[in-house]
Amino acid sequence: MIEPTLALYGDAFERVDQHIQELLETTGVRYGLLVDRKGFVLSHKEALWAPRPPALDSVATLVASNAAATAALANMLGERTFSEQIHQGENGTLYVESVGTDSLLTLIFDASVPLGKVKVYAKKTITQIAAILDELKDLPPVQLNDDFSQGAASLLDDLLG
Amino acid sequence: MSTINFAAREINCKIVYYGPGMSGKTTNLKHVFSKVPGHLRGEMVSLATEDERTLFFDFLPLDLGSVQGFKTRFHLYTVPGQVFYNASRKLILRGVDGIVFVADSAPNRLRANAESMRNLRENLQEHGIDVRDVPIVLQINKRDLPDALPTSMIRAVIDPKQELQMFEAMSDKGVGVFETLKTVSRLVLERLSQNK
Repeated sequence: MIEPTLALYGDAFERVDQHIQELLETTGVRYGLLVDRKGFVLSHKEALWAPRPPALDSVATLVASNAAATAALANMLGERTFSEQIHQGENGTLYVESVGTDSLLTLIFDASVPLGKVKVYAKKTITQIAAILDELKDLPPVQLNDDFSQGAASLLDDLLG
Repeated sequence: MSTINFAAREINCKIVYYGPGMSGKTTNLKHVFSKVPGHLRGEMVSLATEDERTLFFDFLPLDLGSVQGFKTRFHLYTVPGQVFYNASRKLILRGVDGIVFVADSAPNRLRANAESMRNLRENLQEHGIDVRDVPIVLQINKRDLPDALPTSMIRAVIDPKQELQMFEAMSDKGVGVFETLKTVSRLVLERLSQNK
């Protein structure tokens, strides 16, 4: 195992979802995602009024690669990692901050939302989510049986011929 | 190790195409992208230079469907093959579940194949994993070159103990692309159910 695995499920998942939802409501952020460092979306929420988001898989992959690249840069500068990244465009902002060691909170919002406000509330949400993710570390790993392997193999046949 | 998301009941696996520069890694992904029906794949993301050499990575998400209630997905990545891009190549290997090594059949690329395989081993080692811990499949690409080297010779250089499954391919024509992907996916899924 190269990268720590995060399994987000059940009650914990709903609590994380809830925190992101609250953050969206208090700050006016468009989209909020929790992405793991491998580029997989763990959880996502979008504001009801926001237009359809861009392809989330692509967003997550690029955010994670970007974080990996800047972490490598941080190492060269003697830092362990950069915990926070802000990308500011003409009309909107992408704000990424580490949650614990394994995941990243990604917030996308437009120019009408003050960055300072987002930062303040995001830090609070991050503390809450980090606590939930910490609890998950003690849970037993997922068990999959042989039926899973067979079922998956037949789907592979369907997909790839 | 794969990411298992229980709430959304999703299992995500990461497969990386590795190999020397210009060996056909991106071509493999492009062929998969063009042949898999739209509802089973996401968008392909390519971070490439103007002359279409991969700069950081290419990315393609594939949906397998539901297995025992788990939505199973593969994320396919390629790395930039050129020697001097090792920093970004190493980043892409993070969290890998399966590797396709795309080797070039051209005689003047034999050494590049060997160097790329050595580089793969080194990079995996730096991430703290043994080559034997990750499923790796060999794809000997560009079999249609007039002066293509015999596969046995290429294999002797990159896989002397013949431990890895091997496929011949012509990725620009789509030959061998799906066979390779299917095999590496199967190996990844088998490993998943063994809970390793």
